[in-house]
Amino acid sequence: MLSAQTGILEQVDGSCKLQCGETTVICSVTGPIEPKARQELPAQLALEIVVRPCRGVPSTREKLLEDQVRGVITPVLARYLYPRQLAQVCFQILESGEPEENYSVKELSACINAAFVAIVDAGIGLKFSFASVPLSVLGEDEQICVDPSQTDLIKSSSTHVLALQLAAGGQKVENILLFESYGDFTEKSMLQVLQSGEKACVETALELRKVIQHKIQQDFVWR
Amino acid sequence: MAKDIEISTSESKFLIEALRQGLRPDLRKFEEIRDVGITFGKDYGDVTVTMGKTKVHCRISCSIAQPYEDRPFEGLFYISTETSPMAGAQFENGNNTGEDEVLCSRIIEKAVRRSGALDVEGLCIVAGSKCWAVRADVHFLDCDGGFIDVSCIAVMCGLLHFRKPDVTVSGEQVTIHPVEEREPVPLGVLHIPICVTFSFFNPEDAEENIKGESNNEICLIDATLKEELLRDGTLTVTLNKNREVVQVSKAGGLPMDALTLMDCCHKAFKITEKLTDKITEVLKKDIESRNQHSAMLSSENARVS
Amino acid sequence: MAESVEIRPMTFHREVLARIAPDLYMQRHLSLGLRPSLRAFEEFRNVEISDGRLSCASEDSINREGNNILGSNVLKCGKTMVITSITGGVVEENIPVKSEENEIVESYNETDRAANFGQVYPVVEVERGRVGAPTDEEMTLSQRIYNCILHSGLVPKTALDVAVGVRSTDAEGKTTITYSDEQEADGALPTTFKFRRKWTYTLYAKIQVFSRDGPLFELCWNSLLYALANTKIPRAFVDERTTDLKIPISMRGRSAAIRETFDIICDPTSFLPLRLNTSNKAFASNFAVIDLDPEVQLPKDDDDMQDSMPSSVLLADIQGEAEEASVTSTISVVTDGVGNLKHFKAVGGSSKITMDMMRNSIKLAKLRASDLDRKC
Repeated sequence: MLSAQTGILEQVDGSCKLQCGETTVICSVTGPIEPKARQELPAQLALEIVVRPCRGVPSTREKLLEDQVRGVITPVLARYLYPRQLAQVCFQILESGEPEENYSVKELSACINAAFVAIVDAGIGLKFSFASVPLSVLGEDEQICVDPSQTDLIKSSSTHVLALQLAAGGQKVENILLFESYGDFTEKSMLQVLQSGEKACVETALELRKVIQHKIQQDFVWR
Repeated sequence: MAKDIEISTSESKFLIEALRQGLRPDLRKFEEIRDVGITFGKDYGDVTVTMGKTKVHCRISCSIAQPYEDRPFEGLFYISTETSPMAGAQFENGNNTGEDEVLCSRIIEKAVRRSGALDVEGLCIVAGSKCWAVRADVHFLDCDGGFIDVSCIAVMCGLLHFRKPDVTVSGEQVTIHPVEEREPVPLGVLHIPICVTFSFFNPEDAEENIKGESNNEICLIDATLKEELLRDGTLTVTLNKNREVVQVSKAGGLPMDALTLMDCCHKAFKITEKLTDKITEVLKKDIESRNQHSAMLSSENARVS
Repeated sequence: MAESVEIRPMTFHREVLARIAPDLYMQRHLSLGLRPSLRAFEEFRNVEISDGRLSCASEDSINREGNNILGSNVLKCGKTMVITSITGGVVEENIPVKSEENEIVESYNETDRAANFGQVYPVVEVERGRVGAPTDEEMTLSQRIYNCILHSGLVPKTALDVAVGVRSTDAEGKTTITYSDEQEADGALPTTFKFRRKWTYTLYAKIQVFSRDGPLFELCWNSLLYALANTKIPRAFVDERTTDLKIPISMRGRSAAIRETFDIICDPTSFLPLRLNTSNKAFASNFAVIDLDPEVQLPKDDDDMQDSMPSSVLLADIQGEAEEASVTSTISVVTDGVGNLKHFKAVGGSSKITMDMMRNSIKLAKLRASDLDRKC
């Protein structure tokens, strides 16, 4: 389901191409570098996040994605380690895998996962690991669909994105970094989604750890 | 491009000296281009082109729009080339006002759009009210020089690979058939322009080159990022397989011998031929791989003639 | 030699402390069981709403000439004022050839939920006393409201269809406008003329925010909801003579007849209320989760009070600089009074969002929604 390659770009410090079902994104991380004067924060690492769509020019939709990704990665980065520095995190959507004008859950979740691997690849300090999954609730019987396909997604009565902060080797759920839902749902179905989402997030985290394990093996192949 | 990257004096001296002795850091000959890799994505019109370490992704998409009032029989075609810090920290997000970015997008625009590489009249659906708007979004992923050449290949590959949905027109009404319902149709590509960029270096001082007799400037094809940073002049020639010059662009820089221009065009034509063949070959392979079941699914039967 | 250095505790005035150490200021308040705004933890601010008489469709409109506002709302909450004005336009829809025979089929699209709902295009402007490109906050707010309106299904697509009328001029030069749905009663529908094209309204919402004082999504959303509830869309008609205009053109040896775009005219006197899907009407509330810092707690006289203090608390309706600056974990809920949620967003910063807090926030949001619904 999920596959990722690291170090695919030459000019940046860390990069990752992540494919998750029908969605493919490339994430690049450059930093810590010298920021522009207006970006600089006196005691912490500043973040510049750029999301570029697969088709057309960036719009408010991409701005919202940037804001959501920022909300997820700001608390997990060890920002105090790099005062007055900047990290640029860029995303290029290669395949959206969803109708872009109405949805952005799959792109968002792929971006968050790609960011995790790319930040590790860039060697910027992280306090926790994190992972994300898109979910949707289908039909009358409220069937929960983890990582829905495009046809399932547009049928769904509600769509959700869950990003969790994980600990203990990606096994233990520490906190909810982002849980965003749109559509038509109740408290009960939402909490059910949260439950299945937690399970799926842990699974995704294990996949991501495998990618990173492979990367480190490759990096130290000379040993 | 790449104005913020600085190259050390010792490195630049080394590079120039190596060039003077006829060597390039990547062991290429002066007139040799880097290997071009073309890979297509799942969707039609999704292509990634690499040339050495330079990597460009191009995505073609289309939508229904209204044609311009003064050109009711023509569809619309846009090329967007926006940079992002992904290609290197020297690029600013969405800032296309830099001199080099503008030059790059203008050259691609001229090479592909203005040369009529895409048949825009074929995009017309209902004269004056509905037409296809095709857009090519060029995404620069990794920058190691030669953006113009690679982007041009990427846009052309994308256009050749792209299929637009089939339409049925009856009077004023237009039905767009989804891809699952009817086989989509390719775009009308009239010729394949290929850009070749030459970089000139002046190993002597500038005065020698202007007034002197020797004219021993060095001419490279397909410079890498470091070579681009050090070059004194550049020339981009766009040609197609029919030996037609589509565009010659030399914006300032080192003055060059008029005869060198002819020479460059000849060299560029050889590359054009090679690349055009490569593009057609890759496209053919891709279509074959997509259609591997078509023979099985076809209702065609062997006919007795 | 050795001079003794005397360390004296410094005292700051309340406003100064709020400015230089908002987190300390916040924690000190919380330890008293109050918030900087002197509200209780789970207390919301009151909102005042009115339609501002901006709409050209309302009877007591203050501005009728050249006014194109179709619905409006003025929402006041604390010192923040949100003004929403709804405007509209008419666009032509592309109808596939197939639907020509059986008219235009209106059916619920099972396979694409969002296709059944109409959109509203919001533009949020946070007034800061200067003009320029929209800020990131304005762009994200607009997009979030757009997503929320679309997926909540508040505006059914059919509500935005234009029932086009025809203006005809009889022999004496008297003009009458006939609408198909009004004509059905006396059965005198002009059969000679049938539209082969379909138009829909597009609604735009301009949301202006004055004196920003805390997160804005909830205020903007509620204001937009009130504005949509009193939105009236004008009837539209075409002139009989322009129904089939064709203009021949030729260019470079090719010729064709181009059908001229219809002049759709909106009736300035006749309006229909916008039919909203009232079951999907939901109001927004926001909450903050904040950890209590045990070191900042003011000394308590009562010892057993200390033990009952929770490690983190839920605050309703974030307000003010101090709260916004020291809060990293927020919850935003869009729900109706009975618990049909339309949007939920939890962002966990440094404070942990527990299950109980989410449940509690939904409970409070439901109460709040039924309160707000009554003001409609």
